[in-house]
Amino acid sequence: MSKMTQRKSLDYIKKDYVRTRTLTGSWYLASYKFKFNITHMKPFLEKLKEKKLIGNQCSSCNRVFYPPRQVCGKCLVKPDKWVDIRNTARVSTFAISYLKDPETGEVQERPMVLVHHDGADTTSIAELNPEIDVKDVYVGMPIIAHWRDETVGGLMDIEYYDKFIDDSDDIRYKK
Amino acid sequence: MQKVGIVGYYQVKLYSDANYGRYEMIFEASRGALDKAGLKKKDISTVISCTNDYYDGRTISNCFTVEVGGGYMADESKVEMDGAHAVLYGLMRVLSGNHNLAAIWGGSMASCYPYHTVRLYETDPTWERSLAYVNDVTSAGFQMRAYMEKYGVTAEEIAKVAVKNKKNAAKNPLALKEAQLPNITVKDVLDSGIYADPVTELMVAPPCDCVAALLLAPEKQALKITDKPVWITGVGYNQDPYYLGDRDLSGCKSMNLAGKMAYNAAGINDPSSEIDVAELFEANAHEELIFAEELGFAKKGKGIEINSAINGDLPINPSGGALGGNPPCATGLIRIIEAVKQLTGEAGDYQVKGAKRAVASGQVGMCAQNNIIYVLEAN
Ligand SMILES: [Zn+2]
Repeated sequence: MSKMTQRKSLDYIKKDYVRTRTLTGSWYLASYKFKFNITHMKPFLEKLKEKKLIGNQCSSCNRVFYPPRQVCGKCLVKPDKWVDIRNTARVSTFAISYLKDPETGEVQERPMVLVHHDGADTTSIAELNPEIDVKDVYVGMPIIAHWRDETVGGLMDIEYYDKFIDDSDDIRYKK
Repeated sequence: MQKVGIVGYYQVKLYSDANYGRYEMIFEASRGALDKAGLKKKDISTVISCTNDYYDGRTISNCFTVEVGGGYMADESKVEMDGAHAVLYGLMRVLSGNHNLAAIWGGSMASCYPYHTVRLYETDPTWERSLAYVNDVTSAGFQMRAYMEKYGVTAEEIAKVAVKNKKNAAKNPLALKEAQLPNITVKDVLDSGIYADPVTELMVAPPCDCVAALLLAPEKQALKITDKPVWITGVGYNQDPYYLGDRDLSGCKSMNLAGKMAYNAAGINDPSSEIDVAELFEANAHEELIFAEELGFAKKGKGIEINSAINGDLPINPSGGALGGNPPCATGLIRIIEAVKQLTGEAGDYQVKGAKRAVASGQVGMCAQNNIIYVLEAN
């Protein structure tokens, strides 16, 4: 009959005694090969080397993707045109992360931003110049891509984004 | 839609570090749901589980849950999203006409792995991961700021959501102890540790340990099992683009479309007057406001004006919501269970008076990329 009491009542597991042991382990999938197409990236990466930016455009819905996308999800077709993107941008939104160095315990205050490049319909994740005071950052802030001295044709060619005084009259943003 | 009834449920209490082994917790939930319905293992005709390989530390993680989850020699399969998505799968199986009882369970133990670190690996490895440190919390910062900026909502107003939910959680005996804060103030929320400015610690749903289970049966069968079944009269689900940069983060279009789909099925025209209570999976305080607006409870940017207290016009998360504890893979399932409790009058201290129709939602992904919502009605 002990089986019956076990089934009818779950009270036995509510007793206050240590019921578990912890086995420290790891589930290690650190090695992985991410296989991805480069066809839609190649012209973009080549332009990066020249410190120029391009995005691709879906000729069905006319959206301009920066960074380039392999497929336009809205139309389920491949974007088939390349368009120039300006190196100036706006802060679309941002969050300030506090990253703790596991060794020194030092906490770094870093703004992570979504950058909206002029000429693009999408935004991309980026970091700002570490010299910029996080208190000065605001949504709509004009910024400009800061290139590394030596570009290699990769995403890291833009080291970070710098503050930028926008004196053009065609686009006006409220602070 | 053909009626499908919820005929049983069980939720283990939420713990930040449970004195439970993984198997025992799953057993308590699946056995508990059967006991509540007065059923036996042999009555189960299909099992849907909801776990995640990364959260369970093993590959194909439903392989070890066969015995404890009721899947022994049964037709079983796994959903690796939110528990609310597992309910959708179970619902479809019942609607296929081939099953008389679907058992759905979901949950994990966040005390066993670094939850927010795991979620760093959600970003695109080729485009995004190398560029910046972005996980669920950082992206929540993006979304909260975009929402505040667009509609002029203040951090204090968003903190009020956390205050309401943590106070509600204090009335819910199954909520996370650390989240049961009956005396919390807006200042406490704003002064708690910054996770990713403007998001503070108390605005983030705390990851914790839990398993929950739910039983579904077709109409005829449901009425044989219980005289108080809760009917699923509508369901809607939708997903936003993967890249954060392709979305308007000040809102949540997928929740809007999911809501329309569910309302359409349930024949709801004016959600704010026709729905009595909502249980929404808010991974962060601001998400509750965004969801409420997208679901038509208030105009865009005016979510804070809804009187969403337990005795308010449209109570939202009377159980404390996910801010009362967020066990990965179980949270959305618990929202459904909490909505069921409201409709059957079993919610105790946080009972909404006279609740006849409820909505409950689940989500997965950064800034709630994929949303699912149910319309539930009392018998
Ligand atoms: Zn398109």
